[in-house]
Amino acid sequence: MKHHPITLAVLAFVALGGAPARADEAALKAEVEALRAEVAALKDAVQQMRAERVAGSGPATGAAATAPATPRGVPDAPQPAAAPASAAASPGLALGEGTTLWGYGQLDYNHPTAHAADARADLTRAVLGFSHVFDDTTRVVGEIEWEHAIASAEDAGETEVEQLYVEHALAPNYGVRAGLVLIPLGLLNEHHEPTQFYGVQRNFVETAIIPSTWREGAIAGYGSTDAGLSWNVGIGTGPNLGKWDPASDEGRASPLGSIHQELQLANAHDPALFGTLNWQGVPGLTLGGGLFTGKIGQATSRRSDGDANFPADDARLTLGEVHARWQTGPFDFAALYTRGAISDTQALNLGFLGQPTPVPKSFWGSYVQGAWRALEWNRSALVPFARYEAFNTAASYAAQPQGLGSAALPTERVWTVGANYYLNPNVVFKIDYQDFNHDDTVLGYGNRFDLGIGYQF
Amino acid sequence: MRVRWLIPAGACMAAVAPAAYATQYLSVEQAQRAAFPQAGAFVPVAAPDAATASALDAPPGWAPRIFAARGEDAATLGWLIVDQVLGKSEMITYATALDARGAVLSVEVLEYREAHGGEIRMAAWRKQFAGKTQSDAAALGRDIKNISGATLSCRHLTEGVQRVLRLHDFLLAARTG
Repeated sequence: MKHHPITLAVLAFVALGGAPARADEAALKAEVEALRAEVAALKDAVQQMRAERVAGSGPATGAAATAPATPRGVPDAPQPAAAPASAAASPGLALGEGTTLWGYGQLDYNHPTAHAADARADLTRAVLGFSHVFDDTTRVVGEIEWEHAIASAEDAGETEVEQLYVEHALAPNYGVRAGLVLIPLGLLNEHHEPTQFYGVQRNFVETAIIPSTWREGAIAGYGSTDAGLSWNVGIGTGPNLGKWDPASDEGRASPLGSIHQELQLANAHDPALFGTLNWQGVPGLTLGGGLFTGKIGQATSRRSDGDANFPADDARLTLGEVHARWQTGPFDFAALYTRGAISDTQALNLGFLGQPTPVPKSFWGSYVQGAWRALEWNRSALVPFARYEAFNTAASYAAQPQGLGSAALPTERVWTVGANYYLNPNVVFKIDYQDFNHDDTVLGYGNRFDLGIGYQF
Repeated sequence: MRVRWLIPAGACMAAVAPAAYATQYLSVEQAQRAAFPQAGAFVPVAAPDAATASALDAPPGWAPRIFAARGEDAATLGWLIVDQVLGKSEMITYATALDARGAVLSVEVLEYREAHGGEIRMAAWRKQFAGKTQSDAAALGRDIKNISGATLSCRHLTEGVQRVLRLHDFLLAARTG
């Protein structure tokens, strides 16, 4: 509503004159004083406005004239709403009020130095995301992903719903999400856009052990405190051990990645619980950890479409991780350790004898990483980095009768050195070299040179 | 990118739900009172024109709401500038309070709309801006520590405060008195 200052003053005096007689003269005087103060403020503003009109329109720019005064208790005079203002930022595309579209993508080139014939270029992923708000407390958020350029029955590509959930804020500091949500473990899973991580491809620990992008159907609460503590707890679906294929290498590449369900007709007999806690009370520092646990047998022996002889209905997955990140000045350091265990696999693995990939009892991984924003100009930046990872997707197996057990896999250790060149904060070109201590051509492990392009909007 | 096929669907959704998801932590008036409890009045100042916005490297249409905080004696105590910057894909509404010299008194997040990155509301992070002046603006990108998981919100809000500091130097400093 527009309030002309003179009008306000007149209204104030009319209101004063029209007020019913008051028994308390002191209160009346106080009210008069308050109105006088407001009128004085109005006069001040009008005078300033007149002076600036005379003087032109602002000292350096010739721009601004002072608007009418808004004294305490009087609604703001009309002004334009603050407009999108991040100069070179790349906003999501507004599709009408309440709906926003965004996206990211990643293209990679991998050149194994010892097997140059295996060099490969790939449109690794293209993602479109959207959010639509229903009201000031409820919205739906989704991401749809295409992997490897083409998705069809004859091609290697996939089309996936990467996340799709409804979020409802219960209070400014906490709320609830329900749907297909990202499991908030580690540093990468929830923040997996190519501009967010160093190196052409995501680190091995948070793909082989924490199977990014890991999502489950769940209902989860989230919140934060002013002291810098943020939390997330949820209950939802979990992996399905009944899907384990001992003849495949998938379980060796990523135990959980091979049995995740991604809410695709997910067997949901056994709920899983997860929770994370992060503390960011000191600027630049993040300390946190998380836990995911649940039975993953999914009643396979009792399901109508299951295997009546499945011996691991009670198998339980427990995966935990701790992480730290310290970003100070041009430096960015990170470290993460994660360890997982699957119980009650002895009988299951006995049935897998002779197969190449039994179910591990334990698996783990860790990395340390350092990056340095060495050069910055305009909105570009060159950020060299180095990362050391160690991980083992089958560090141990449940005991078997003598002579029948499988040997644990060797621990893979990978050095990655390279650089992210940010053309701007939303477009990145990447280069790196990776050194593996064990080659595995099936899993694609071997010294290699990588190039990549990533973007987000 | 071809997204025209989505526009009709978006328009339909917008038509039935013209709302904006936003968690409001402070109103403008609350931010005014928090920054300048001793002020007797908050006098709106017209938004910068296009030439000023261009000089400050702001996009066309940039229209921060500017208030001069006045004491009982009508002296300018400082300024409160309410602005918006992009977080990741949604806008963040924030208020920067400057003292009469143009040094940052406080930065408050008024409304936040992103699913992630709300950690920028933490007082410890926002306190990093306290005392910064226009002469510090260029170095803010390095001086203000990032929050993991809220990189874009941190970067864009820092850029917003940089622009506000330059705005003071460019437009408001001469008005103090």
